[in-house]
Amino acid sequence: MARLVLQRLAATVPVLLLVTAGVFALLHLTPGDPIDAMMAESADATAKASLRAELGLDRPLHVQYVAWMGRLLRGDLGHSIRNGEPVLENVSRRIRPSLQLALLAMAISLLVAFPVGIASAVRRNTSVDRVGTTFALFGICMPNFLLALLLIFLFGVTLRWLPISGYVDPAEELVDGLRSLALPAVTLGLALAAVVTRTLRSSMLEALTEDYVRTARAKGLSEWRVVRGHVLRNALIPVVTVLGLQLGTLIGGAVITEYVFALPGIGRLVVDGVFARDYPLVQGVVLLIAVGFIASNLVVDLLYGLIDPRIRHR
Amino acid sequence: MTVSRREFLKASVVVVGVPWLGLAPAAAAAADPPRKGGTLRVGFYIEAQTMDPHLSGSKIDRQVYHNIYEPLVTLDTRLGVKPGLAESWTQPDPKTLVFKLRRGVKFHDGTDFNAEAAKFNIERMKTEPKSVRKGEVANIDTVDVVDSHTIRVNLKKPDAALLATLTDRAGMMVSPKVVQERGAELGRNAKGAGTGPFEFVEWVRDSHLIIKRNDAYWNKQGGPYLDRVRYRPIPDDVVKLQSLQSGEIDVMDYVQPRDVAAVKADKNVVVVDVPSLADFAYQLNLTRPPFNNKALRQAVASALDLEQIVKGVWLNVGVAANGPIPPTSWAYDRSIAPIKRDLAKAKAKLAEGGQPNGFTFTMTTNNIPINVQEAEVMQAQLAEAGIVAKVKLVDSATLIADGNNKNFEMISFQWSGRPDPDGNTYQFLRTTPGTSFNWSGISNPQIDALLDRTREISNQAERRKLYSELTKLLQDELPMLFIIHPIEPKAFSPRVQNYEAIPDGMMRFKDVWMR
Amino acid sequence: MASSTLASATADRRWEVLRRAAGARLAPFGAAVLLVAVITALAAPLVAPHDPLRQNLGNALARPGRAHLLGTDNVGRDVMSRVIWGTRVSLLAGFLSVAIAALAGSLLGVVAGYAGGRVDGLVMRLMDAVLSFPPLVLALALGAVLGAGLTGVLIALGVVYTPTFARLMRGQVLAVKARDYVDAARALGAPGWRIAWHYVMPNAATPIVVQASLSVAFAILAEASLSFLGLGIQPPEASWGSMINAGRGYLQQAPWIVFGPGAALFITVVGLNFVGDAVRDALDPRARD
Repeated sequence: MARLVLQRLAATVPVLLLVTAGVFALLHLTPGDPIDAMMAESADATAKASLRAELGLDRPLHVQYVAWMGRLLRGDLGHSIRNGEPVLENVSRRIRPSLQLALLAMAISLLVAFPVGIASAVRRNTSVDRVGTTFALFGICMPNFLLALLLIFLFGVTLRWLPISGYVDPAEELVDGLRSLALPAVTLGLALAAVVTRTLRSSMLEALTEDYVRTARAKGLSEWRVVRGHVLRNALIPVVTVLGLQLGTLIGGAVITEYVFALPGIGRLVVDGVFARDYPLVQGVVLLIAVGFIASNLVVDLLYGLIDPRIRHR
Repeated sequence: MTVSRREFLKASVVVVGVPWLGLAPAAAAAADPPRKGGTLRVGFYIEAQTMDPHLSGSKIDRQVYHNIYEPLVTLDTRLGVKPGLAESWTQPDPKTLVFKLRRGVKFHDGTDFNAEAAKFNIERMKTEPKSVRKGEVANIDTVDVVDSHTIRVNLKKPDAALLATLTDRAGMMVSPKVVQERGAELGRNAKGAGTGPFEFVEWVRDSHLIIKRNDAYWNKQGGPYLDRVRYRPIPDDVVKLQSLQSGEIDVMDYVQPRDVAAVKADKNVVVVDVPSLADFAYQLNLTRPPFNNKALRQAVASALDLEQIVKGVWLNVGVAANGPIPPTSWAYDRSIAPIKRDLAKAKAKLAEGGQPNGFTFTMTTNNIPINVQEAEVMQAQLAEAGIVAKVKLVDSATLIADGNNKNFEMISFQWSGRPDPDGNTYQFLRTTPGTSFNWSGISNPQIDALLDRTREISNQAERRKLYSELTKLLQDELPMLFIIHPIEPKAFSPRVQNYEAIPDGMMRFKDVWMR
Repeated sequence: MASSTLASATADRRWEVLRRAAGARLAPFGAAVLLVAVITALAAPLVAPHDPLRQNLGNALARPGRAHLLGTDNVGRDVMSRVIWGTRVSLLAGFLSVAIAALAGSLLGVVAGYAGGRVDGLVMRLMDAVLSFPPLVLALALGAVLGAGLTGVLIALGVVYTPTFARLMRGQVLAVKARDYVDAARALGAPGWRIAWHYVMPNAATPIVVQASLSVAFAILAEASLSFLGLGIQPPEASWGSMINAGRGYLQQAPWIVFGPGAALFITVVGLNFVGDAVRDALDPRARD
């Protein structure tokens, strides 16, 4: 088992190297540079040149790359060019809202997906099932920016129940914080609910055809007890897998939601960084996201291996 | 109370500057005494970058600066220069300015503002390696301390535009003690650094920036009344407007033209039209085809219908431009009309330029909705003359890079404007080798001579004549196509009282109070 | 889009069980939507009631009515016609980007699977790297490098989807490689590429086609999202996503500018999903057990 882990870890190193090279190359290929973007209203060439020299931006690309990698190996992710603060500090500040949003969205998705998914599976092929499946399909097909617009219009402007922009930290002020995250969490959560519903339904259907279920039914156990006792537990494995994999996407990929609802999250941080050509910031964040993604994949695969002994010894 | 756009436009075009622009003018306010207290919540379109005015290159920083810092001189509603931290000034000779500084002014950290402090600030702008103000104070040679509250500024060359430049960041005074003790930290933490009616409290990036009333402010007339001002960046302008309408914020820095009519009809919101100093234009690349050919430039200018663009795209939230100088400026010459559409002339110019059947070119513009709309309308207008304009949408960083590298044929250039007409003309039109804002590459000896002269003489009436000549020349040479001088409407909750709008678009809250 | 091979394998099986249960009825609806979309796209010049580019500033933001079934936008263009012409762009973006990804991915997968060893390792690590790169950042950066416009979008989406196909193809190649008839062919001296062409490709084609048909719907959604963020189609042409983005500021005054293309996008994506599932049902032999 330990050998498997080490093997997997070793395999991630070349991947990360490729990611660092890729993001560095891509960013430096984009036209424009951070100094021009930062000092847009100034044509002072000498000030810009001295700033560039100070940041090392005038050195040849491969030199800059090696310098960056060198710092990386020492654990130094560098400083954002835009605000001068360390990249890690920027990230830790912005990851909070994204994490909270992701967790809230997951909670909402589970709240919706569980009843719908289970009901669909248990009452398969009935109208309940069709409604559930249709809801799942619509949730996946609905563009999330459109859903965000509709929610803002309905709940924010017309009904005025919930705030439509800005972020209040629920850890500091619970009620206001939850209210500020409500609309964006619903936007993300509904789409996620659709995926989870689909997964749950199909995994339950699969589990329901297993022999032990027939045995349990033959023994005279009620349907509900069969479901709760045996089926659900097994059916949850793929659901957990899906959720685990979606966490990464939720955190780094909720850019549109963060933009529309003005949340200071990590998705917006990196996109703004691309527009501002903030090389160290974007490079650092992309690397962290890649690491997170690879780590979560690794964990899921290993958990899977632990749970399913058939896979462990492949 | 709202000032209707039409009234406003008429006023700004006919009279140079308007006596008052704002909410609840002095007469009505006499009935309602200002009330102390309240937190004003302001929504801005992007996050500020730094709290150090000498290192700042971004427009949004200035909004906060004008409340916590003060410049030596400041602007009145007619863009005239009036005393700020400098009580008075004289000019014994064209290359010397002597400022008498106000007494009894303290920085928020308790230290005195005096001649030493002023000298320190100006020198810092010139010598600090990361200073972005170097170009603005380039003409200042040395500063002498005459006595504790008098400084003498020695210039390298006569510079009639310098005073106006000192009304913004280049004239802002920061506490030397804070600079020496805090160094680079000043960019994040400006506690105690300014002299203004408000002082810095805290800044949580991407979340909020708070300033609070300075009870020890030197000017005992009027405000400050508000307890605090809380700035919040809301990048999405649709969400920003909705936040104002739903009462989550009290002030909004800019209302999009498409929202102006609806917002004016909304009783929960008050709109103030602030005619700006800006000029929105397109620079043409004179260093290569097709626009190295003057006739073709003139063909394009004649094929455009500026009135239709201002009406259809900008919804009359602005005035068609006759050149780089806005109607709010004393140098504006309303006798020079914006270029009128003339398809026959366009066709003639096309023939003169050797392209009787039209030609194709690419226009590069920023990828924001209103720019896209403007580009599409221009495309349609040009097509009627047989000129095919392809549109290339880019992000800001690419736009700046393309402009600086002259990698364009026609490129969007939206300049936020400066109080002195020099700030809207010199660096864009003067022959400049190397990288500069002269993206078009124009090098015209007549224009150069005019521009140099405007800096040498200080008589306003004379300078005005020169700028008129320049404007006429530009309508012929066409290194740039000037489209519009936009109005920057600002929107407020009806609780906000006594906002005085100054055309530089900066929101100064000193005398503002809330019901 | 991205999941470990294990999870996706199990998800595959689960998915088709679901499809069989609820699929039969919905497939014709999906096919109908796809047919309408393709015909609309091809026959746009004939079907559209007005010129989608013709501006009429005097009639901007007009409500839907007889003259303009979906109203007009902020410069007076007919929304219905723009939605119709937008079908071309969206379908093109969806199909082409998936085609690019399928082609590139298949090629890489064949090379990796067949060559094995270090080449395999390198190619697969490269695919992993692309997968762990946040897709939106990748698309934005590529867009800035290549210039906004349909080409940039196609390449960006193509790159993002390539790893999925590469993995799929590689898996197929590995499976086929182990089969007896390949050994026999090799023993008889057949060159590598011939084996690949005659044996590997036909077997691999099915899962590729299935994956491709499922991906098209998501590619169209992705293009809309990119256009919404400002990448994508250059004016005055428009895709549904860029129309929604442009109309967003007018949501309160003229919601039809957003809902016209929004509805078209939604219906098309739903229909394409049904078709994708039907294709999978029909082609995937595993569905037949």
